[in-house]
Amino acid sequence: MDCSLVRTLVHRYCAGEENCVDSRTIYVGHREPPPGAEAYIPQRHPDNRIVSSKYTFWNFIPKNLFEQFRRIANFYFLIIFLVQLIIDTPTSPVTSGLPLFFVITVTAIKQGYEDWLRHKADNAMNQCPVHFIQHGKLVRKQSRKLRVGDIVMVKEDETFPCDLIFLSSSRGDGTCHVTTASLDGESSHKTHYAVQDTKGFHTEEDIDGLHATIECEQPQPDLYKFVGRINVYSDRNDPVVRPLGSENLLLRGATLKNTEKIFGVAIYTGMETKMALNYQSKSQKRSAVEKSMNVFLIVYLCILVSKALINTVLKYVWQSEPFRDEPWYNHKTESERQRNLFLRAFTDFLAFMVLFNYIIPVSMYVTVEMQKFLGSYFITWDEDMFDEDTGEGPLVNTSDLNEELGQVEYVFTDKTGTLTENNMEFKECCIEGHVYVPHAVCNGQVLPDASGIDMIDSSPGAGAREREELFFRALCLCHTIQVKDDDDVDGPRKSPDSGKSCVYISSSPDEVALVEGIQRLGFTYLRLKENYMEILNRENGVERFELLEILSFDSVRRRMSVIVRSATGEIYLFCKGADSSIFPRVIEGKVDQIRSRVERNAVEGLRTLCVAYKRLIPEEYEGVCTLLQAAKVALQDREKKLAEAYEQIEKDLILLGATAVEDRLQEKAADTIEALQKAGIKVWVLTGDKMETAAATCYACKLFRRNTQLLELTTKKIEEQSLHDVLFELSKTVLRHSGSLTRDNFSGLSADMQDHGLIIDGAALSLIMKPREDGSCGNYRELFLEICRNCSAVLCCRMAPLQKAQIVKLIKLSKEHPITLAIGDGANDVSMILEAHVGIGVIGKEGRQAARNSDYAIPKFKHLKKMLLVHGHLYYIRISELVQYFFYKTLYDTAYLTLYNISFTSLPILLYSLMEQHVSIDTLRRDPSLYRDIAKNALLRWRVFIYWTFLGVFDALVFFFGAYFMFENTTVTSNGQIFGNWTFGTLVFTVMVFTVTLKLALDTHYWTWINHFVIWGSLLFYVVFSLLWGGIIWPFLSYQRMYFVFIQMLSSGPAWLVIILLITVSLLPDVLKKVLCRQLWPSATEKVQQSTKLKASVTAAPNTDRPLLKDLLPRPRRH
Amino acid sequence: MSQKYNPITWRTKMKKTSQICQSKLPDNTALKQQQLPAYRLQLSATGVLSGFFATGAFCLGVGIILILSAKSIKEIEIKYTKICANCAELREDAINFDKECTCSIPFYLSETMQGNVYLYYKLYGFYQNLYRYILSRSNSQLVGTDLKVRLYLIWYNTPFFKDQSHNGTPIAPCGAIANSIFNDTIILSYNLNSSIHMEVPMLRSGITWWTDKYVKFRNPSAINLSSAFTGTAKPPYWSKPVYELDLEDTENNGFLNDDFIVWMRTAAFPTFKKLYRRLNRVQYFIEGLPAGNYSFNITYNFPVTRFKGEKSVVLSTLTWSGGSSLFLGLAYTVTGSSLPGRNYRLSNNC
Repeated sequence: MDCSLVRTLVHRYCAGEENCVDSRTIYVGHREPPPGAEAYIPQRHPDNRIVSSKYTFWNFIPKNLFEQFRRIANFYFLIIFLVQLIIDTPTSPVTSGLPLFFVITVTAIKQGYEDWLRHKADNAMNQCPVHFIQHGKLVRKQSRKLRVGDIVMVKEDETFPCDLIFLSSSRGDGTCHVTTASLDGESSHKTHYAVQDTKGFHTEEDIDGLHATIECEQPQPDLYKFVGRINVYSDRNDPVVRPLGSENLLLRGATLKNTEKIFGVAIYTGMETKMALNYQSKSQKRSAVEKSMNVFLIVYLCILVSKALINTVLKYVWQSEPFRDEPWYNHKTESERQRNLFLRAFTDFLAFMVLFNYIIPVSMYVTVEMQKFLGSYFITWDEDMFDEDTGEGPLVNTSDLNEELGQVEYVFTDKTGTLTENNMEFKECCIEGHVYVPHAVCNGQVLPDASGIDMIDSSPGAGAREREELFFRALCLCHTIQVKDDDDVDGPRKSPDSGKSCVYISSSPDEVALVEGIQRLGFTYLRLKENYMEILNRENGVERFELLEILSFDSVRRRMSVIVRSATGEIYLFCKGADSSIFPRVIEGKVDQIRSRVERNAVEGLRTLCVAYKRLIPEEYEGVCTLLQAAKVALQDREKKLAEAYEQIEKDLILLGATAVEDRLQEKAADTIEALQKAGIKVWVLTGDKMETAAATCYACKLFRRNTQLLELTTKKIEEQSLHDVLFELSKTVLRHSGSLTRDNFSGLSADMQDHGLIIDGAALSLIMKPREDGSCGNYRELFLEICRNCSAVLCCRMAPLQKAQIVKLIKLSKEHPITLAIGDGANDVSMILEAHVGIGVIGKEGRQAARNSDYAIPKFKHLKKMLLVHGHLYYIRISELVQYFFYKTLYDTAYLTLYNISFTSLPILLYSLMEQHVSIDTLRRDPSLYRDIAKNALLRWRVFIYWTFLGVFDALVFFFGAYFMFENTTVTSNGQIFGNWTFGTLVFTVMVFTVTLKLALDTHYWTWINHFVIWGSLLFYVVFSLLWGGIIWPFLSYQRMYFVFIQMLSSGPAWLVIILLITVSLLPDVLKKVLCRQLWPSATEKVQQSTKLKASVTAAPNTDRPLLKDLLPRPRRH
Repeated sequence: MSQKYNPITWRTKMKKTSQICQSKLPDNTALKQQQLPAYRLQLSATGVLSGFFATGAFCLGVGIILILSAKSIKEIEIKYTKICANCAELREDAINFDKECTCSIPFYLSETMQGNVYLYYKLYGFYQNLYRYILSRSNSQLVGTDLKVRLYLIWYNTPFFKDQSHNGTPIAPCGAIANSIFNDTIILSYNLNSSIHMEVPMLRSGITWWTDKYVKFRNPSAINLSSAFTGTAKPPYWSKPVYELDLEDTENNGFLNDDFIVWMRTAAFPTFKKLYRRLNRVQYFIEGLPAGNYSFNITYNFPVTRFKGEKSVVLSTLTWSGGSSLFLGLAYTVTGSSLPGRNYRLSNNC
């Protein structure tokens, strides 16, 4: 452990020096270059150890303490404690030291445990076995022993242990496929290329014979940038120099796919890998409740300081008369007399500070933290949020934000994978106006609903049949799918017809869905072999097509084409693309029928593609070939020229048909969105998808309704008019409507109301966000925000990940500072998840990147509803009550101070804050509008805060003066004996404990046995404790001032009467306020409480089948 | 399983596996699903109204009883600082500490004080609750274990712990509280007629808490008391050492002196009274104090004018609810009557 520390230090130090050198040189396989080569400065590189832990065994205590005392509250209490130690104060240092010590210890243990887990994870990772090449042999070593220059072998499905330069692969062409899902979230396969001169080295011996040096830049975090060069020394003594780019670099964290094994040389290791450089710890998010808590704390701090000041001043005014300053019966010590007046005043001030410091509740932080920590378990435990398909429950990564879930005003959601399942399914195809629906194969069963429209067997005629087959062939050929033969592995996409299973791999899930759909219609794409595409047709005959050209897909053209030559020598061009890009190029075919079908499908939220073809005569093909060739070899503007060439080739097509692929909406997505909107939450969809598809999804999930007036702010529109005009026009439309509508319409519930939906695309957004030259950058933004605010739903499409975060930030920093929530599943959502107040990751298909970076992870979008409406609501209610209660109860001070806050009254409120359900869960779920009641931090506003503070002051006054009048001039015992000051203190304290606990009891709406147990138990504990504390001479205490005080007090009748009276009086105003408010101005929540009660009384009747009752009972476990 | 090198992935994985081990489906217990059977407390108007009404009635009843019982209490208080002005003046100056000053205060009791009568002294403006004052005692010395106050080394230089004039001999009983003990002697005499003046028999026992007398205060063990206190000095303001407080009754001598114990139980407010004597109900006084002429004969020792305070002597009877204070009764009555009033407003609202 110690060793490693020293080593890392050394490495850090060296790395610091190294920065002067802007490149590093690596000897491949640690072989020195031949003497003739340039001499390089030897450099030291860290080993491949990953350190994500924060502490080591040695520095844990100092570092952790330092970190903890950076927290303002802890620091404050430390100061108080020190002051108590130094100066003579009425309270002992123990009273403030003990809770502080407690808090610090608990936090330290928690953090230490977490760090221990990190250590364990690090160790496990650092000890992963890795295959090295050493002296021509394969050696297994621990990952951490990997050093720069080592040659590493990685097998299929393994992750690269460090950043490697790709030397050779088992594939003949020197390529390998890689997924970088855990790095950037892209699950598609990427192709990397081995170094030209080394790709021939296929065996361990070969690779060991390689003699080369690599020169490359120093590590930097950009994943897509790499510059370097390799010198390969051969016998000829003349080194071959090759440039290296990012296509030669295999990054740590990426996984090898489709390639048996590769060889690579380590260039960046350990903490210098690009992944480690990209890893940054999440910034701490603070909830609104915590913010208001801090503000209240500051207010109390001000009160405290002023209180101490006033008291000091008053003390000196009072003491100005000498007989008071030092009466004959109470002499000062010598040192006190000699002390300087100012010093004395300052000491007194500090003493008052310490005396009153209890109004700042030290235990509040602990309690709040514990409440959050334990409370988060309720989310994890929630059975309703457990997804049986994936076997995943919700994960809570940060428990700090539980209550924030009850505060959300804006929800930003990703589309693919979040709203939809990202599970493409071929739905139907439309050939010449005839609709074909493949047998929906679902768990091996043919769904019955497919039979009605299944028209495959009833062929409409010979000509049509020919067209139909052409269509299927087109779909089989026009794609970029790779086939992976998989005999043993039980792939998820098994083809049921063929004997062996094969897995289709493609960067686009649509293509896979299409090919699989066609497979079910009888045509199976087998493989691409030596430039021939093989198709298994309906008669089980293999058709071979020679693949001539691929006009690959790009997002501008939004189509792709292939040119193939059939076995008969005919040359076809098949083109597949979005309807808007196909229709204008079609000259033949039943356009109208297909168009209507496509439009219908689009409205249903299906992703549609159109297929067209063209037969090329050989001369035409020649022309095409030369055109393409010319564009491909062009050195300048190659992209542009290629696009032009494609444009020329893909025209005069014959429309074949259209396909529809469904990206199924997640279960209950629409229901959830509707509920969220009812709850007054604005839902924005941010997607990288194209506008039409996204809009269709929005319709499908009821984000847009039929009467929603869509406003478009897209690039196309901006091209026509200037941005300025468009924006102003839109805002006029929006404002005109919203002006005439009452506030009530904000709900967006009434059906006849005209609400607006805004569609904006990425390009338009960047135009808006771009600061203008004249400096008035905020202008458009404001306008845009204004428009957005008046729209019930906003759809942002074609968004880059960064733009998503930008939008969230824009809203977050707008005037009202609304609480935002971002939900997404892919790595492209991570930035927005990190940016929003609350980030929720959907544990989805696109890797766990989002779930890892989120604050909460849920398996399905539908769980968001319960998360927000139920958990969020409850947690908010709980925490706000908790905070208020703490400020309320700490307003007094007297003896027993330490225990008071920690043990007598903390447990009930903690339990309350865990158990409270002011309305039943079912009600909350049924009635989303209740969410509005707590929006905007309603329960922690100043009004409420002042009310609680006032209540606290009132109670304190009642306690003190009630007891004061009682004691002054009166004998309170029936035997004439007199009580002293300790009895007075005890009396006040007893009243206080009872009042505070009973107040909580009054606020509790949900009495479980635990609540009963804790509330009554804590009162009982108080009594028992007091009896014990006063009933026994404690040998370890030098003073016994509490001895028998409590018992003596209880033996007097009037004391009982005083206690009862004071409790009644101090609780009265609160009860009264509650009842009055409830009767006069009931909130929606209270109305619901009322109605639930009525219902409950109805349920008392024999009719027990009511769902309400049933739901309250524990349901039988589902399997 | 594929090898994961990504630290974060790995951790998530580990979490996942551990979850699998503990059955991934969360338990369907009522606690975890937040569905414990519970009673929902609802503050309904009728419930609260009846609650208010009951509380109000209760308070009103208690209040009336308290007021009635307070009315039956007889109490007489005589401030004697001004009456004994010459003594008060004498005590202004500490030089006159050994000059005795007595003072007689005649008064007429118009009504018989029935039952037990208690004699209190009452001080005005004496802060027994000052912080430094309260702490200026040694409980371990008072139970006789740490007579030389060794445990209180930190207070070595605080006043009244060591006798500065006698080489720092420890003081017993030490501290400011003990030093400032109330040392007036109050004798009540009954003037049956102009010639017969008889001292009213008073009990000095039973004026302390039982626990104080028998647990918290103990004399150091020795053959006789004076030898037990050897090596200690008397408090500077005392006229005699602690073992001579009551030479007649050993149970009342030393730290066990009742007056001393009463004084040591510090009061909460600057105005306080402390029990001095109880009426011994014998002879004439079986029924209590009969009406007639009385006088207090006071040996005036305790200076109060120096801190602008006052002294008084109080005679009082008691009921079950303690001394004569209308406060509690009134408070109950007011609370009780205000509740139904609010009730009325509330029921109007409904």
